[in-house]
Amino acid sequence: MSLTSALSIAQSALFNTSRQTSVVSRNISDASNPDYARRTSIYSSTNGGARISEIRRATNEALFRQNLTALSGWQAQASMSGGLDTLQLRVNGPDNATSPAAKLGVLQEALQTFAATPSNVTLGENAVEAARGLVRSLNNGTQAIQSYRAELDAEIKVSVDDLNRLLAEFETVNKEVVKGTRAGSDISDAMDARDSLLKKISQYVPVSTVNRPDNDMMVLTADGATLFETIARPVTFTANTTYTAAMTGNAIYVDGVPLAAGTGGNTTAMGSLAAKLQMRDVVAPQMQRQLDETARGLIEAFAETDSSGANPLAGLFTWPGGPALPTSGTLVEGLAGRITVNAAVDSEKGGDPKLLRDGGINGAAYVKNTSGAASYSSTLIAYTQKLDEPIAFDPAAGIASPRSLTGYTADSIGWLEALRQDAARGAEAKEALSVRTATALSNEIGVNMDEEMALLLELEHSYEASARLMSVVDEMLATLMSIAR
Amino acid sequence: MKTSFISSNAIAQTMRNHMMRMQVELVQRQQEVTTQRLADPGKTLGARAGFSFSMARDIERLENLLDSNGLAANRLSATQNALEQFSNVSQDLLSTLTAAVSGVSDTSIVRAAATRSLESVTSILNTNMNGEYLFAGINTDVKPVNEFTAPGSPNQAQFDNYFQTHFGFTQTDPAAANITAAQMNDFIDNTLIPGFMGTDWQAAWSNASDETITSRITLNETAQTSTTANSIGMRKVALATAMTSDLLKIPLSEETQKALYTKATSLVGEAVADVARIQSEVGVSEIRVKDATDRVEAQIDLSKLFVNEMEGVDPYEASTKLNELLTQIETSYALTARIQQLSLLRHL
Repeated sequence: MSLTSALSIAQSALFNTSRQTSVVSRNISDASNPDYARRTSIYSSTNGGARISEIRRATNEALFRQNLTALSGWQAQASMSGGLDTLQLRVNGPDNATSPAAKLGVLQEALQTFAATPSNVTLGENAVEAARGLVRSLNNGTQAIQSYRAELDAEIKVSVDDLNRLLAEFETVNKEVVKGTRAGSDISDAMDARDSLLKKISQYVPVSTVNRPDNDMMVLTADGATLFETIARPVTFTANTTYTAAMTGNAIYVDGVPLAAGTGGNTTAMGSLAAKLQMRDVVAPQMQRQLDETARGLIEAFAETDSSGANPLAGLFTWPGGPALPTSGTLVEGLAGRITVNAAVDSEKGGDPKLLRDGGINGAAYVKNTSGAASYSSTLIAYTQKLDEPIAFDPAAGIASPRSLTGYTADSIGWLEALRQDAARGAEAKEALSVRTATALSNEIGVNMDEEMALLLELEHSYEASARLMSVVDEMLATLMSIAR
Repeated sequence: MKTSFISSNAIAQTMRNHMMRMQVELVQRQQEVTTQRLADPGKTLGARAGFSFSMARDIERLENLLDSNGLAANRLSATQNALEQFSNVSQDLLSTLTAAVSGVSDTSIVRAAATRSLESVTSILNTNMNGEYLFAGINTDVKPVNEFTAPGSPNQAQFDNYFQTHFGFTQTDPAAANITAAQMNDFIDNTLIPGFMGTDWQAAWSNASDETITSRITLNETAQTSTTANSIGMRKVALATAMTSDLLKIPLSEETQKALYTKATSLVGEAVADVARIQSEVGVSEIRVKDATDRVEAQIDLSKLFVNEMEGVDPYEASTKLNELLTQIETSYALTARIQQLSLLRHL
């Protein structure tokens, strides 16, 4: 009965073609979906004609992992770079215009002008206003840094919640994959979904995966903490709503293991969470320490001595511990947020700016201009000189000491800009890597429209041929029947 | 079986990424061309940004110094001008007194000349500029010299007191007419000169401080940029004119008058020399301020050059790059359009 078998082969060819067409149309419809892996139909020959034995999903495990790592690195670097830009803008301002360094320059100029015409009390008022500007810059800088840390905490909280949600989804999808594999059904879609989830997870934390029988997958962080193993492991974090300089942020726990922060401008952090931890716990506090040291340096530089040149007490700038001076060369945490212009000099608080010229902020024993002469400039000149003389700074703030206060503030700008430069360069390289691996991966597993169209043409032809075959067999059978009749 | 493969998504993505990167750079270059300064100096300079910032800050401080040096220079040239006048008045007085010594002048003429000189000298020493008294040392808000001729002035009272203490009677006492030349010399040498040259001067005559104004003329150099009415020359002129105008009220004998004139002449003569010394001191300060200003200007130029080298952008280079980018982007647009056309679909 070869005619009947020809007919049945043609029929199965038609069936194959339509099945293949559905694969092609699926490929085409998902051509622009970056998470979609191309499917191909695999034939196997049987004695009743060819049969589609399997729909195979294109994969490249090595490239996929590379892409995940690159993605983590880039996300971390992008967070870092963005965070540094935010800090720079909020604390130092555009072109560093609101930085303590710039405000110190303004104060120096105001003192210089006042020293040139000490008899002009308006210029004294102007110098005190410059001092207020400097204090505002330090106070606002502290506030900006601490509120930024609180904002980071809020962002981390949102990310951790999202991560937990992704892990829960991963659990569902993974279950589907395992079940499908055991049942032998098509799991391609579930696999796509799982890969897509992995990509999303790796934006928050670096992942490494372990494949297990039945396409089951175990997900670990790069440090080895378990994110997912049969069930999603909890990622926990408690956010602080407010921060002070002395506060340390809470850690992020992945299945009970704390997540480590990155180091360096071109950060070692992988995933945005580690980078945010780095910004919150390393970079922002360091910047705060530099502001604190600047504030301490100011109090020290403007300290007043009595007529014998001894017993220095806080002068133009003071702090809650005043009039005693903070210990030289030792960091006082959060000082930049608490430094004030001495009320004795501040005209807004009923003080007298002339004390800046004459001395005596700390009482009669500290008066330098005993005759009260209007053009006495020595104290003012001494102040401007003092700002250029090296003093000791706490090495904990990360800037070489001894340094003059003016130099110190400029170095602080240099420190931040060096970090930004490193971060920007790193971001460029890591973005390029991530784009390259994504392109390479897409080239491996993605869809090419032209190929699919060509395939479609082929299918069209084979469909026509099979149909033609059927009609020929039909004619032949009809002829046969008419003979028999 | 395929040898190489590219996905449609990758083609589109690559194009998009490139385009985005070019557009980001385009904005930066555009800013650089218009401002001729790096778009983000901090990011480009890194750690050196601190250095360039402190340079820029120094430039502002130095420019501020130029202003204050201008103030000091003005004060010094006004002082120089006043000293010139002072010297002229002293010279005039000297010639009047010299004539008087040789006995050709009337007493009233000499007295009037002395009084006039005293008044001019007082007003010169009380010169005020921008609300500051030039000869007050640092005590610039108080008039440096009291007016001798004003009624009830402390220096007149002090002078009367000197006379009374020395002679035991007042200038208006008839006994005053009998003062001999030797007595007059004794009075001047042992009472008036020690009184005027000592601390009594500041008690009754002058409110000026001995300390002169210190100004910062460069970032690390200070100079004395004013002078004081307490210098020896000014005291001597004040003494000579005060005693001549006051003691000539007494009908003194000719011999005593002559002794008085001789003493006054020598005092004024010494004073002229001393004022010349002060003039040269002020001149030295003027030159120091001028030199400092020149140095500061040179420093500003140098610093500006440094800042410009670090933060500046070569306008030609920037605009060339901008043009290149524009061409690239345009090419890219054209290519995108061509690639869009390049689809098998259009041929089926």
